[in-house]
Amino acid sequence: MSSLRSKSAQDISDLLDEYGIKHGPVVDSTRSLYERKLKEAMAKGKPSKPSSDKTYYREEEEVTYEYRTPVRSEGAGDRQSYSSYSRSKPEYRGQNSVDEPYMYDTPSTYRNSFMNSTPMKSPDAPKTPKSSRLIPLWVQFAFFLAVAVFLYLVFSSMETNESLKGIE
Amino acid sequence: MSTTTQKHRDFVGEPMGDKSVTALSGIGEILGEKLAQQGFDKAYVVLGQFLLLKKDSEMFTEWLKDASGANSRQAGVCTQCLREWCDAFL
Repeated sequence: MSSLRSKSAQDISDLLDEYGIKHGPVVDSTRSLYERKLKEAMAKGKPSKPSSDKTYYREEEEVTYEYRTPVRSEGAGDRQSYSSYSRSKPEYRGQNSVDEPYMYDTPSTYRNSFMNSTPMKSPDAPKTPKSSRLIPLWVQFAFFLAVAVFLYLVFSSMETNESLKGIE
Repeated sequence: MSTTTQKHRDFVGEPMGDKSVTALSGIGEILGEKLAQQGFDKAYVVLGQFLLLKKDSEMFTEWLKDASGANSRQAGVCTQCLREWCDAFL
């Protein structure tokens, strides 16, 4: 375990990103706090998720969400951009499995077997139901149609002679 | 329904200006002394630390407990105080 003290501020920052710890600038007053956080994270054996992608914030949220959901959904959406990010993880975990195996052993074997059995052909459908709508789409359509029909009825009952002649 | 103290209301109700660190809610004489020893003698310096930690309540609470020896309640109250001050004036 290399000493965190000797690392540069940039290294500390990168390590924090790897462990998914949201952080501010690593300066004198914040450094010891972040070092402690890193020690805790390393002790917990979290897998490190290095990413050179600058949009790591958004992807991290989605990745952690995927960690909590059943793992089978990860094998399903290979073609999506953010799940392709999660796809790169198993390869990386292969290198890290020596260091931190215990917590993610089961998911990784799960994922690996799933990856082998369903290569690249999984449909995109499983991803779409997760769109966050307060009111389901069909309800919105039905409501719109109901309003349209209602308005038509109101219109037709109000305008008796003249408008019908006008239409004809 | 928040049960804020008068001290909290006093702090959050106006710009902090040059107020001492003991003006912060949750920070009394002893904690204030400990913070001042480390250079955090004014409330705005602690505010600076809060902002450096990107206004993350958890991080700041942890830092405060570390730096001053505050307990969870005191640190939580101080964090809340700073958060509300930032919401109002930052």
